[in-house]
Amino acid sequence: MKLRGLFKGALLLTLASLMVAALAVVGLLGFIYYNSQGGQNWDAPLQQLSQTLTCEEGDYTFSGEELLGEDRWAMLLSEEGQVVWSCRKPEELPDQYALTDVASFTRWYLRDYPVLCWVRQDGLLVVGSPKGSIWKHDIAMETPVLLQTPLWFLGFFLLALGSVLGVGWLASRHWFGQLQQTRDAARSHWIHGVSHDIRTPLSVVMGYAAQLEEDPALGPEARRRAGAIRAQSQVIRDLVNDLNLTMRLDWEMQPLRRELVQPAAFVRQTAADFLNGGMAQGFEVEIDLPSTPLPSIQGDPFLLRRALNNLLTNCVRHNAPGCPIRLGAGARQGQLVLWVEGGVLSRHESPPDGPALEEDGGAAHGTGLRLVAQIAAAHGGRAVFRAGAPYRCEIWLPLARQ
Amino acid sequence: MAYRILIVDDEPALQAMVGEILARAGYETQPALTCTQALEKARAWGPHGVLLDVMLPDGDGFSLLGQLRQVRDLPVLFLSARDEDEARLRGLGLGADDYITKPFLPQELLLRLRAVLRRVYREEDAARLGRAEIDWGKSALRRDGREIPLTAKEFALLKKLWEARGNIVTIDALCGALWEGPLVGYENTLMVHIRRLREKLEEDPSHPRFLLTARGLGYRLRREEEP
Repeated sequence: MKLRGLFKGALLLTLASLMVAALAVVGLLGFIYYNSQGGQNWDAPLQQLSQTLTCEEGDYTFSGEELLGEDRWAMLLSEEGQVVWSCRKPEELPDQYALTDVASFTRWYLRDYPVLCWVRQDGLLVVGSPKGSIWKHDIAMETPVLLQTPLWFLGFFLLALGSVLGVGWLASRHWFGQLQQTRDAARSHWIHGVSHDIRTPLSVVMGYAAQLEEDPALGPEARRRAGAIRAQSQVIRDLVNDLNLTMRLDWEMQPLRRELVQPAAFVRQTAADFLNGGMAQGFEVEIDLPSTPLPSIQGDPFLLRRALNNLLTNCVRHNAPGCPIRLGAGARQGQLVLWVEGGVLSRHESPPDGPALEEDGGAAHGTGLRLVAQIAAAHGGRAVFRAGAPYRCEIWLPLARQ
Repeated sequence: MAYRILIVDDEPALQAMVGEILARAGYETQPALTCTQALEKARAWGPHGVLLDVMLPDGDGFSLLGQLRQVRDLPVLFLSARDEDEARLRGLGLGADDYITKPFLPQELLLRLRAVLRRVYREEDAARLGRAEIDWGKSALRRDGREIPLTAKEFALLKKLWEARGNIVTIDALCGALWEGPLVGYENTLMVHIRRLREKLEEDPSHPRFLLTARGLGYRLRREEEP
C-alpha cells in the first residue's frame, strides 16, 4: 500500500516535471524562432523594399519610405562599390567600398550597424538598422557532426529524463516519508494515550469486582456477576495490551531482543506461568514434547511467551467451562513448530485436518491472533491457524544456526 | 506486626481501591497524591514499603524513587499505566523492587508485594507442612519430635519449592537450582531427589499431599491452607 502510494506520487511528480520542462523548451525555441530572421522572414520586406526603388535614365525614385520605417536607412552600391543612391545614410559611412568591405558587412556589421543586403541587377541594396538593435550570428558545423546531432539530442534528452525521474522519486519519497511519519506519530500518540488513560480506571473496576467476587457477605448471584465484570475487564486489559504491541510491531517500534531459547524449557515455563496465573481453572493442560532434545531457536522470549499466552488464553475463552489443552513443540521441515490445541482430541489421534485460515488468523479472530502472526513474522516465521474442532494454532520458527 | 505501605498515586479512586485491598490483607496504608506529600510522609510516617505511580502532578516516579531512597532505604514497587519496555526497564534499572503494570488483579498485587517484603525484611514464615516442620537453620525436617536431616540437594530443592509455594516450578528451574551448566539429562536424577524428599516429608509418599507433580511440567508445593 505504502509502496504503491510512493510510486504514484513519484509518477505524478515526474510527469509534472516533464511537462514543465517540455513547455519551457518549446516556449524558448518558439521565441527564438519567431524573433529570428527565419521567424520574421526578413527577405520578403527587403525584396519589396527593393521593388520600390526604381531607376529611370540614371535617376532613382524611392517610394518605400513607409516600408523602410523611421529608424532604418538604405543605400545602393554599384558593381564598383560606389554609392549610387542612399536614403538617410549615416554621415560616418563612406561612399566607396572595397570588395573586402562588402564581404565583411554582408555577413556581419558595417561599422557596428547591422545590415541586410539584396542583390539587384544594378547593384547591391544595403538596408541598415540602428546600432545594437539586431544581433547577428553565424553557425558553421562539419557535416559528420551535423549528422550526429540527433544522437546527441537523444542522449541529452534521456539524461534529462533520468535526472527528472531521479529528482522526482527522491522528492516524493522524502515527502511521503514525512507524511507517513507524521501520521504514524499521531496514531501512536493516540493509541498510547488511550491505552494509558484506560488503565487506571480499569484497575479500579477490576480491583473492586475481584473483591466483590470473593466477598462472603454477598449472595452467589451477585458474586457471579462481579466475577463476570472482573473477567470482562481482563478481556479489555488483554485487548489494550495486544493493541499496543500489535501497533508497535506494525510500525517497527518494538525492538526484538533475541537470545538462544531452548524450546522444551520455554514451553514448560510458559505453561507453568499460565497455570500459576490461575487463568486455567477447570482446564487440563497437557504438554507434548519429543523425548529427544529439540534444537534451539534465536528468539525474543518475551514476545514468544506472549504469542503462546495469547493462544492459551484463546483456548480457555472459547472452551469454557473446561477442556484438555495441549501445548507442544516439535522439529519439522528444518523448522521449530510450537503449537496449541484446544478441544477433545486425544494425543494419539491423527492431527486435525481442518481448513487453514488466513495467516493473520482471520479478521474475525481479533487482535490476539493477529498479534501471534505478527510475532511469528517478526522472527522470520509464520503462524498457521486451523479452524474446526479442535482448534489448532501453530507457530513455525526458523532454527538457530549452529 | 502490620507492614506500613505508602501508596503514591494521583488518582484518588485508585488510591481508595488499593488502600482497601491492602487493609483487608492486614496492611496499614497512607495515601500521597504528589511527590511532595510522598516525601513528607516517608519522613514522618516511616513506611515499610512504597507503591509508586510513574506520572505524578509535580514530578515523575523515577526521580521520586531516588529521593525516597535518600530518606530511607525502603522497598519500592512501581504501579504504573506505562507498559512500554523502556519504562519498565528504567524503573527496575533505577533499583525498584518490582514493576506492576496497571490494570492488575488484587491477588497479583498482594502476592508481589508480599514477595518483596518477605525478601527485604527476611520474613521467616512458619515453615510447616502438615505434621512436618522445616528447620532452615539446621537443614532438617522435624516430624513427631524426630529430626530428619536433609541432604544439600534435598534442602536446595525444598527451598526453591517453598519460595514459590502454591505455584508450579518447572523441571528446568529446579535443575537450575540444583546444578550448574547445561541441564539436559538431569531429569531422572531430579526425580530420585524428589522421591527421597517425599519419603522424608510426606506421611504417605505414594500419595503425596504436599509435594505434588505437575505432569510434564515440574512440581508444586501445596500450601497448607489449600483445599
